[in-house]
Amino acid sequence: MRKLILITLVSILSFELASGQGLYSPGQPKDDGRFAASTKQVNQFFRRFNAEESIEGDKRYYEGDPLYRDRELRGKFISILFDNETSSVDADTKKQFLNEVLSEQYPQYIHFHREDWFAEVSAVFMYKGKRENVTLFMKIQPEGLGYEWVIDKVVFQPFKDIFKKPQGDGKGFLHPLSHELGFMNLRKAFQDSDTPEAYTSKEYTPDYLTLFLYEMKKGSIKFETIQDVKFHFFQVNNWYFELNQFNRPGFNTGWLISNLVRLKPGDKESIQKYIYDQK
Amino acid sequence: MKKYIPLFLLLFLATSAVSLAQSDNISPARKQAIDSLALEKVKDLSKYISIIGSKETQFSEANRVMDRAEELFAPDAEMGVSSLSRRDIAYYKVRRYFERLMALNYDRVNITWYDIHYISDLERQPDGRYVGVVTVYQRFEGTSLESGLNYRDTTKKDITIYVEKKQTQIAGRTIEFWDVMLGDIRVTETSA
Repeated sequence: MRKLILITLVSILSFELASGQGLYSPGQPKDDGRFAASTKQVNQFFRRFNAEESIEGDKRYYEGDPLYRDRELRGKFISILFDNETSSVDADTKKQFLNEVLSEQYPQYIHFHREDWFAEVSAVFMYKGKRENVTLFMKIQPEGLGYEWVIDKVVFQPFKDIFKKPQGDGKGFLHPLSHELGFMNLRKAFQDSDTPEAYTSKEYTPDYLTLFLYEMKKGSIKFETIQDVKFHFFQVNNWYFELNQFNRPGFNTGWLISNLVRLKPGDKESIQKYIYDQK
Repeated sequence: MKKYIPLFLLLFLATSAVSLAQSDNISPARKQAIDSLALEKVKDLSKYISIIGSKETQFSEANRVMDRAEELFAPDAEMGVSSLSRRDIAYYKVRRYFERLMALNYDRVNITWYDIHYISDLERQPDGRYVGVVTVYQRFEGTSLESGLNYRDTTKKDITIYVEKKQTQIAGRTIEFWDVMLGDIRVTETSA
């Protein structure tokens, strides 16, 4: 039943979205409403989520326009911004999310220039003669007269395999009176051990991005291609959602929410850790 | 160039229009005028692509049209192409992309454009120029008479536009206007 309601809603909205985005002359192929319904750019995701454009997508609403951030329009838009075909976001979670985002007292919007959203880019590089998958995390930052996307973090499995700090009994250490010997036993750390990272502080974490750039400057890593992009949003209070691009037949396509999680205290950090460390 | 003059004028007038002080300093009226110019350029590009791809176009004419099409682009612009069967983006210089299009092994090629587009907001980049993306959809139909095979696809084209304030001298007066150049294009095959 729920599914039927969703399909009906999407069909109705898709029909509404179908008109009025024409550019080319008569005789050109006509969109049957699928491209109109599709959230064609991440920019359009922002505009639809906030209700800052017309249903047809051909008019940008600015502050002062009667329909700018109109609550009813937002409700219609946000309900079609979910992946309804493959993701398992249940109707109850969606409803709670909608209620909070559309709250009359404290409506919540997403902002392109603010923090708490970032891109995850799946790329391929050549490393030691092999194609290797690399995940780049990108964020937007102010620079000069405008803004730029920058690389914030990198996940590269060959580097992760190199740095495995031993734990417990297996971990080498410099005994607490090493200073009395002028640290002569550092030889054990650097020459006799294949895990010199065992001798680093608790706070130590390898800086993979610096290593990655170093290898690139040395010519050991070469860019090949990009395979996929997705976005992670933490901008809505107490919620996390993931934005993916769906290229498939039908009306439920383009940039859509594929994962939605209500956050309890501490969850944000756990999810971020999971996203950054998962590969 | 002549055909763009009324649009430049419109942009000039829009520049003088009351600014609603958007944070990006481009008023809605000016944005609308810039969108029109960007769409004109995208429309020209789509026309050129249709001509270059058509098997009825003479080789010399196709080359002339490629020159015209290249003039729409900022230097170093690239096309990034992926298909439903291959996630990797293949990169081509704009000229190379046109040449490959011209050399496609079909007897008949028909390239048309859907009656839909989407234009992003304009964002300012560090050097002060503005950047936006125009999305259009293209239908390609190729027929090989010998094998009787028909190939058809629909691609989404996300076209970068760079918007820059420039100056020109008209009758001794310096006039400022906004110009639009095309940049990188992401070409994605769709399931449509």
